[in-house]
Amino acid sequence: MSIPFLALIPATLRSTTPLLLTALGGMYSERSGVVNIALEGIMLFGALAAAVTTQQLEAPILAQTPAAQVAWIPWVGLLAGALGGVAIAFVHALVCIHYKADQIVSGTAINLLALSVPSLVLQSFYGNTTNSQEVVNRLPLWNGFSPLVYLAFALVPVSWWLLFKTPWGLRLRAVGEHPQAADTVGVDILRMRYGAVMLSGLLGGLAGAYLSIGFLNQFVRNMSAGKGFISLAAMIFGKWHPLGILGSTLLFGATDALAIQLQGGDVMPPVLIQALPFVLTMLVLSGMLSRIRQARPPAALGKAYSK
Amino acid sequence: MLLLLANLIAVLLFLLCPWWVLKREFGGAGVLAGTFGLLDPQNLGIPDTLAVGWIPGFSWAWVLLALGSSLALLIRERQLRARWLYSLGIAGLLLFGLGLLRFYGAIGAVNGVALAEGILPARLPLRRFSPSLASYASLAYALLLLLLGRLQLPGGKAFLVRRRQIVVPLSALGLAVAVGALVVWMLRPGLGASPDLTPFLNLTTKLDLITYTFQLLFSPLTHWSGLFQSLLLATPLIFTGLAVAFGFQAGLFNIGAPGQLTMGAIATMLVGVYVPGPGWLTLPLSILAAAAGGAFWGGIPGWLKARFGTHEVINTIMMNYIAASIFLFLISANQYRFFGYPVTLPFKAPGPEARSYEIRPESRIPTLLELLGLQGSGAGELSWAWPLALVAGVGVYLLWKGVSIQKRLIASLGAGVLGYLLGGILPGWPVEVPAGLAAIRLNGAFLIALLAVAVVNVYLWRTIEGYELRAMGLSPKAAEYAGVNLGQKRILAMAVSGALAGLAATHYVLGAGIEEYRLKQSLPANVGFDGIAVALMGQNSPLGITLTALLFGVLLTGGLQLNLELGISRELVTTLQALIVLFIAAGGLLPTYFTDPLQAAQVEMDAQRAMTSPVEKEGIPESNPPSAPQPQS
Repeated sequence: MSIPFLALIPATLRSTTPLLLTALGGMYSERSGVVNIALEGIMLFGALAAAVTTQQLEAPILAQTPAAQVAWIPWVGLLAGALGGVAIAFVHALVCIHYKADQIVSGTAINLLALSVPSLVLQSFYGNTTNSQEVVNRLPLWNGFSPLVYLAFALVPVSWWLLFKTPWGLRLRAVGEHPQAADTVGVDILRMRYGAVMLSGLLGGLAGAYLSIGFLNQFVRNMSAGKGFISLAAMIFGKWHPLGILGSTLLFGATDALAIQLQGGDVMPPVLIQALPFVLTMLVLSGMLSRIRQARPPAALGKAYSK
Repeated sequence: MLLLLANLIAVLLFLLCPWWVLKREFGGAGVLAGTFGLLDPQNLGIPDTLAVGWIPGFSWAWVLLALGSSLALLIRERQLRARWLYSLGIAGLLLFGLGLLRFYGAIGAVNGVALAEGILPARLPLRRFSPSLASYASLAYALLLLLLGRLQLPGGKAFLVRRRQIVVPLSALGLAVAVGALVVWMLRPGLGASPDLTPFLNLTTKLDLITYTFQLLFSPLTHWSGLFQSLLLATPLIFTGLAVAFGFQAGLFNIGAPGQLTMGAIATMLVGVYVPGPGWLTLPLSILAAAAGGAFWGGIPGWLKARFGTHEVINTIMMNYIAASIFLFLISANQYRFFGYPVTLPFKAPGPEARSYEIRPESRIPTLLELLGLQGSGAGELSWAWPLALVAGVGVYLLWKGVSIQKRLIASLGAGVLGYLLGGILPGWPVEVPAGLAAIRLNGAFLIALLAVAVVNVYLWRTIEGYELRAMGLSPKAAEYAGVNLGQKRILAMAVSGALAGLAATHYVLGAGIEEYRLKQSLPANVGFDGIAVALMGQNSPLGITLTALLFGVLLTGGLQLNLELGISRELVTTLQALIVLFIAAGGLLPTYFTDPLQAAQVEMDAQRAMTSPVEKEGIPESNPPSAPQPQS
């Protein structure tokens, strides 16, 4: 039994990217005090918007010249994916911040929507409820990697700088830790929270677009398959800190890559391998969190703010 | 202002929307009758003898009514204004009734002539017809006027706030329907609409499509077989709704019902297929296995929370995926290789499909018809055994008050057994079973669900343990201070919650809820998620959950019809459920005094003060109550 370990490294980077993007997004939201269990749904809506937009844009061009590659189309698709994520995150923000709903319930509702609404959309566009038409214009590859891979890893230091070295980051953390105090010094709590949740929607939407027009070339029903929840766990395990998140998502990405490698071998049945990342998540969360006690969520996490 | 806007919308609806659909085809195409005459975009044609000339005048009457109510809103004195709104509301109800009578009268006249000529009932000229959007809008408008009238009187707001347990779910349901209508609007062209239609016709056919969509969704309410089919689909929802609600009451959010259901299904399949043993024991054992499988899967996150403090939400989600993997592992193949070594499993039945062996006959839950001693359609004898047992058991429980709960339960159990034996001796009652009802596969799992509802109700509100559990849900710290062992209680709560979700498997596997008496890949584990919607809409109360589950059962049954007739995906129903969760979480988008108990109490106090104070607040526009002290979070 020999696993080509060198081949695992690029595979790990590729599997880490959606997790890293989503987890960083979730970090902004939770640092501002809004639990974002809707990451899974955000990812799915982003993936759907990206795939459908790309396919609809290229359809008239493909009708004239089959298999035509147009450079700008996937970028518009990517933008659409990001906007799809922002739109659905806005719903979450509105319900949680303005109507002060239970944030976990709201997130769960959005995840439920993400299981059913894509089917309705797919049916109206393509006449089936499970997948979209394949797109020809996928995101380009730079040196074998999607641009989003570079973006995700570049966002780690950027996020660190934003969060800990800028006034905006200071305010964001204050809003999540002690909103009353932040309010007293003139920080607009609600605006900060709306912004942070929608930023998480932007990053989650990008991750979704990466899945549908970067990793694959179509939208498949429920294609995120729990990646949103894994990023949530990775964010908690990474202690709501960009560097911690980088470490934890790399761990989960490596598990994912390993699982894909193992699919081919006869080490374990593939159906059981699919459960590996989830088992690992549970082990990591319960086993290690209990020892790392200083991993403390933002104090105002999950609490609606009213003056 | 808002009310005048509502009136404007009402007038537009009355003028633009079709009032009645005179003839409806299977695919949804129809002849619409509106204010400005008949619309027949598909040239279906109706008999000339159909009298519908009264419809324009009728709709103008409604427009007059709406104008009248707009004027009534301008009256300054509150008492008088209320009286006017009441009168107009009652006038509206009468007008609605009159329209209904005239419409059915006109249809009946045409069909009556045809029947007299000897045409078969199945070939009548006007077989399928219905009221349409403007009719429904007029009924809603009349009711709204009555409600507005009540709101004008002193204590009107408190009247509404006091009923917030009904108002909030209803508002959420209404909003979900509105958004659902918008989704249908965006995704589908109007019925029979072609590109060259005028904008007016396009609009009307679209509005008709939306009306027809929701008519189909709620259509199971109108006939018996639809209702029974709804009960069938509601059965698993009662279980999963109870499971989620039980967790909510303990302050735990159990999103793991899909996984717990799956594990319950696996456990009950293992017992039902492989445990031999005496016939009378295997069925109870299989049911217990379903509960135990779910309890095990639910207990793990409970234990992890108690021991390590990890959040149950993430753990239950992870365990859903793990359960799905184990499920596939067991039934999708018999040969696997672990590290190169072949392993053989005995669970998958031969054949291309991923499924287990059949449950042995002794472990199957009979259908309700079989429980009543009937076999299929046609003549049969109704056995009194189970009905009597049920009546005796429940009757004794309800009537014998004033003793401890244990004594009451034992007594009602004894009465149930007595009733069963007595009913077995009594001679049967000859009945005729129509074919429509015989096709319904509603099974005994429904009774188990009702039993679970009763047990959860008693446990939560009539026992000390249940009281402790709810106390923990309201304030863990206070409960701990009062001596509740939080860790133990959390494990217990999650295990019971899991057991309830696992019991849903009795319906699917033992009761053939998935068409066969076996574990199949089509096991709809997602029903576990629907339980969240059911619990939220049912306000976590057993009665509310039962009613909500029935409502969702109706929607799911109607969804099948929708798919069949209009080709709209059943996912619309799932979308509606998710929207209901979202809107209920947001308090139905109602003002906060509907959701915040403190502010609700404030409204109540203000109302009482206004009632008792001698100063009549005439001519003063409705003022906001002094804002309640806001609880600081």
